[in-house]
Amino acid sequence: MTGNEAAPERLASAAAATAYQREWFHALPARVAAGEPLALANADAPHEVLRALNVPYVVNQWWSSIISAKRAGAASLAAVAARGLPDYSRQYDVLPLGAQELPAGEAPWGGLPEPRFAIAERGGDVTHKIYEQWGRRSGTETFLLSRTAPDPAPEGWWDLVPHRWEEVFGAERIDLLQGEIEELVQWLEVRLDRRLDRDRLARVMALANEQAEWNRRTRDLLAAARPLPVPVTDIIPSVMVPQWHRGTTWAVDAARRLHDDVARRIDEGAAVWPGERRRMMWIGRGLWSDLDMYRSFQEDFGAVFVWSMYLAIAADGYVRYGDDPVRALAARFVGLTDLLYVPPMSSSWYVKEALAHGVDGVVHLVADDTPGGALISAALEERGIPVLEIRGSNADGRSTADLRQRIAGFLRDRVAPST
Amino acid sequence: MTPGGRPVIGIVGGDVPAQLVRAAGGLPSRLTGSWTGALDAGAADLLGAADAVVVRLLADVRDGRVRCDGLVVCADSQAHVRLFSVLRSTAPTLPLHLLDKPRTSSPAARRFARFQLRRLASFVSGLSGREPDAAALAVAARDERELAAALERLRDRRIAVPPRCSGSIALEACLEAGRLDPAAAIARLDAARSDVPAAAVRVHLTGSDHPDATLYRVLEEHGCVVVSEDHGTGDGAWLGAAADAADAADLDEAIDRLVELHAARVGGSATASSAQRAELTLQAALRSSAQVVAGVVRELDEAPAWDVPDQSARLGEAGIPLRMRTRVRAGEEVAAARALAGEIVREAASA
Repeated sequence: MTGNEAAPERLASAAAATAYQREWFHALPARVAAGEPLALANADAPHEVLRALNVPYVVNQWWSSIISAKRAGAASLAAVAARGLPDYSRQYDVLPLGAQELPAGEAPWGGLPEPRFAIAERGGDVTHKIYEQWGRRSGTETFLLSRTAPDPAPEGWWDLVPHRWEEVFGAERIDLLQGEIEELVQWLEVRLDRRLDRDRLARVMALANEQAEWNRRTRDLLAAARPLPVPVTDIIPSVMVPQWHRGTTWAVDAARRLHDDVARRIDEGAAVWPGERRRMMWIGRGLWSDLDMYRSFQEDFGAVFVWSMYLAIAADGYVRYGDDPVRALAARFVGLTDLLYVPPMSSSWYVKEALAHGVDGVVHLVADDTPGGALISAALEERGIPVLEIRGSNADGRSTADLRQRIAGFLRDRVAPST
Repeated sequence: MTPGGRPVIGIVGGDVPAQLVRAAGGLPSRLTGSWTGALDAGAADLLGAADAVVVRLLADVRDGRVRCDGLVVCADSQAHVRLFSVLRSTAPTLPLHLLDKPRTSSPAARRFARFQLRRLASFVSGLSGREPDAAALAVAARDERELAAALERLRDRRIAVPPRCSGSIALEACLEAGRLDPAAAIARLDAARSDVPAAAVRVHLTGSDHPDATLYRVLEEHGCVVVSEDHGTGDGAWLGAAADAADAADLDEAIDRLVELHAARVGGSATASSAQRAELTLQAALRSSAQVVAGVVRELDEAPAWDVPDQSARLGEAGIPLRMRTRVRAGEEVAAARALAGEIVREAASA
């Protein structure tokens, strides 16, 4: 440390969320062995249906992040290649498929029990093919939902999506997904031999909205706080673990706990780095295999990463109010990913967030499967916010090997300290 | 505009039923890009990690090398969706339309497909000033049926032993047919004939779409003949799809019928399952008595590479070898095709 105080200890809500998730996951094998059907669901699949039907589910991209963080990514990709499948395509989405081939001793946390259901939207060119592979595993059946293209894609969506989502996404796109969610419900009901309780689904939706409202308050606190009171590496698990338990009272409580922890830190005058001089935004997926990276520019540059998409999209992207829970659920997922990646939806939102958080510079990790990177970067640069754009995958360390040097150069050459 | 005052509707992708565009007063003109040519840095930057063929296509549109009065982009691959998004943000004066056809045939999907085709008809009508009435739909359906018959005649010439038309000539004819009026397209397809050496190795082509015939020519100059294909710009192009006049008394009926035809197709690799694609490849290869199935898959055209294990397995059951080049980078396509041809011919000679 160079004249700065030690960083505050880990946020209690982050530790609690991580511990909860580990405990939840470690209990899964016994639940599956006892006959509970496990679902593997993509991040943009309508999880709330599973929640309301009392089906435990693991989110593909969350499991990918664990595989990456536990350094099992390379072995998982090798397992994909060993089946003749491309190990260079949609790596973030395909890691769990490969990890199923790893011996239990090598798989993170003992490995994922074989899912009964694999559920995804047909995102990109190959998500449906990855899930086709899942559907060939013994005991696993796949259900695919349509993914319509982002038309329309209005700016300023964040003020509209809570109530006026029909305007944002278009009624016909929502009609399609609503119809397919109903098909998914029937498909599950037949296999589970149980009926969806629509009132329960409505309660799940209400809890998810309540959780999103807490996230919005937390995001607003952090946007206004100077200096940053909580590291993004604590914020991410505090938001994302509850996100994957969306629609439960535990998740609402966890979101409220995060809010209260952040508020307390602000009241206490806590600082991640008291010598904060440059406020940085990280756009793109988290660098799970090197979380220390987010802290590694504090001492030399006073550069603190104050923003990642995980809290921000949880704050703005998920809330949907409506009388029909299935239609509102369709509206939640019909264009969720587009909010992050498709201009002008995405670009206008990142600019809004950057300005609200007083960001001095942006590191923008653009993965092969995420569109719109250049237009997002251009929109930020037009507002005078310098951007370092890095093309690579967070799931493949080879593509981010020189990341720290590049960020250091960027900070030195382009990011002026805050006045 | 055409000399007759009809708007030229540029089309990217393979989901547009030409009948609807013609009935609404437009001239459909399929744009496919090219295998070769420099990659424009600005276009590449805007699209991000996208198939080089689509990068070249974007550069063509941005630099004014594409002459059309309106552009329809199909959401049949992520590269095409990116192309649409980039043009929407950067070319505000270009009449631009996205056609987003679902890939399932559920009632909800069919409703959405109908909505999409009605929007497409409105887009073209907005440029032409002409509504697709029953008479126009009937004429356009007749034209499509005649085009389909010409395509079938071309297929027969290609699969004959020995073939009576090379793959490169056939592909060029198909590509041009996607840009011509029906009568000219039929004449162009019927004129596609050539002598093919009896010793040429019969190849069915799969993998990435072929935007032009460059690689076909390379294969055929090195001892192969492409007798059939299942990619999206040759025999897989959606030419000749017609809503039958008897069923299509008005636009809604025609659209219903076109939705049925769409649901019955096996789409391109980015939209169909690997199992469907493998079965399509096998059946097409069997029909054309192909000795080998081969393909070139471009870097960042992800989907075809996922089909390879299934294709290999299904073709293996029928005793047909599969020879692929995957992750082929821009600038390396011709060399990849040359190497592929060499491998195929060597193996055939030693068999």
